[in-house]
Amino acid sequence: MSERVSFTFNGIQVQCESGQSIAAAVINTGTLALRTTRFGEEPRSIFCGIGICFDCVVVVDGVANQRACLVTAQSGMKVDSRS
Amino acid sequence: MIVVIGAGPGGLAAAEAAARNGSDVALIDSAPRIGGQYWRHRTEVSGYRNYRADALFAKIKASQSITYISEASVWSIERDGKLIRVNYLQGGTESSLTAEKLIIATGAYDRSLPFPGWNQPGSMTPGAVQALYKGHGVLAGKRIVVAGTGPFLLPVATALAEAGVEIVGLYEAHSPLRWALSPVALIFNLSKFAELIYYWRLLAKHGIRPQFGRAVTSFAHGRVTISHVNSDFHVKAKQGQIVEVDAVAVGWGFLPDLTLGGIAGCRQRVASDGTTVFDVDRNQLSSQPHIWIAGEATGIGGADLSLLEGEIAGLAASGQEIPSHLRIKRYAKEIFAQALSRSYPIRDGWKSWSNEETVICRCEEVTLSNIKESVVELGAEDSRTAKLFTRAGMGLCQGRICSRNVAEIVAGLTGCTVSDEERIASSNRPIAAPISLGLLGDGKK
Repeated sequence: MSERVSFTFNGIQVQCESGQSIAAAVINTGTLALRTTRFGEEPRSIFCGIGICFDCVVVVDGVANQRACLVTAQSGMKVDSRS
Repeated sequence: MIVVIGAGPGGLAAAEAAARNGSDVALIDSAPRIGGQYWRHRTEVSGYRNYRADALFAKIKASQSITYISEASVWSIERDGKLIRVNYLQGGTESSLTAEKLIIATGAYDRSLPFPGWNQPGSMTPGAVQALYKGHGVLAGKRIVVAGTGPFLLPVATALAEAGVEIVGLYEAHSPLRWALSPVALIFNLSKFAELIYYWRLLAKHGIRPQFGRAVTSFAHGRVTISHVNSDFHVKAKQGQIVEVDAVAVGWGFLPDLTLGGIAGCRQRVASDGTTVFDVDRNQLSSQPHIWIAGEATGIGGADLSLLEGEIAGLAASGQEIPSHLRIKRYAKEIFAQALSRSYPIRDGWKSWSNEETVICRCEEVTLSNIKESVVELGAEDSRTAKLFTRAGMGLCQGRICSRNVAEIVAGLTGCTVSDEERIASSNRPIAAPISLGLLGDGKK
């Protein structure tokens, strides 16, 4: 569990423990918002936390609509709020 | 082979029971570790009677005939003659399992009701706060309010407090006196008093005093409004109490995850509280031959009931005898489950918490005024039509979060009640997990 993982979220370096989800890692840095909505440009974070609500979707290495609460953070990942 | 989908209490009990006579079992789950939502853990399971989880985990690991497939999401189930094919995605690749028998134990997720600000970062379900902490070791904030209704609020609030979170408030919308409506359920489930005392001690240890008849009615930029509500959930006094928090965890019981059983064509029914559940017989067999369903998907009843249903389903699917004491225990837990829905019903007053601009469908950002317009000006008479006009329930979550709420709001506006057909229709989804067209068209017959 002590192994460290490092990835970027919107260009900013994020460090976390191996096995943590992208959402957990980002929230642990004190940032809650993971994306902004299409129409209202409102910030959103995790809501259900278990992959049901799709509110935490981010772009992972160019692939859109990935649930940040489910995807395990990997070193070298490039995570963005939008493509 | 017997395939068990879901590695929570129900699925684990099913796999363990089915493997007792040496049947070949595949246990498939979307999480990296077994345990499901209730027994979610990083290193070890904590909480009330956690030794039950440890014992079951050890049996599953020791069993030679159980193959455990983790981090795999099942996206469809197909019939191939007498066989059942379970298609799943694991790490971006598609695979499938072919089974003679299938046990579905997909569990449940938090039910949410809208209020102004429920879509802001920091507002989440108790399950989300729990998953962040138990699964990833991350606290959603230093100061958290836990609110809503139902006994699940107790393990969430106490686990957070044990982790060092300041529980600014624990607010239960209903009065505990409602349990007086269910004396028989309490007599048949005296062990539940031990569980209550367990949580009560933890609450006392951390100085948390649950307050009843209160609900979170708005949240904005770290300020949460707590209102006194009456028994039908209407706000009693205009002025609520305002509390500063980092996060607010609000949950209104649970909704069964019906997706996979629905795809498999298993018949559903509407329970007395309006929740759509699967119809199963006394052996947990669904309307589809060779498909059994156990746990929350057959009705919300908690881990104790799920364990019993799973064990019965596992024994039935593997052709073993089902001891009558299991059915008797299940009956006692079913009575308790009925008492739960009687003690913590969701009342219509929640609709009055929203204002015109409150987002009802989070995915498609559909507001209450959008829904009202579809009914009043465009003439929508049911939730399906309102959904087509507004796109409510047509986003990425496929209505899992909002469809029941939208149906209730539309019914309120049109002066109708939501029909069972509508409840069942809005609970079903054609595809369980998002899959790219490339994968769909690639190499599948």
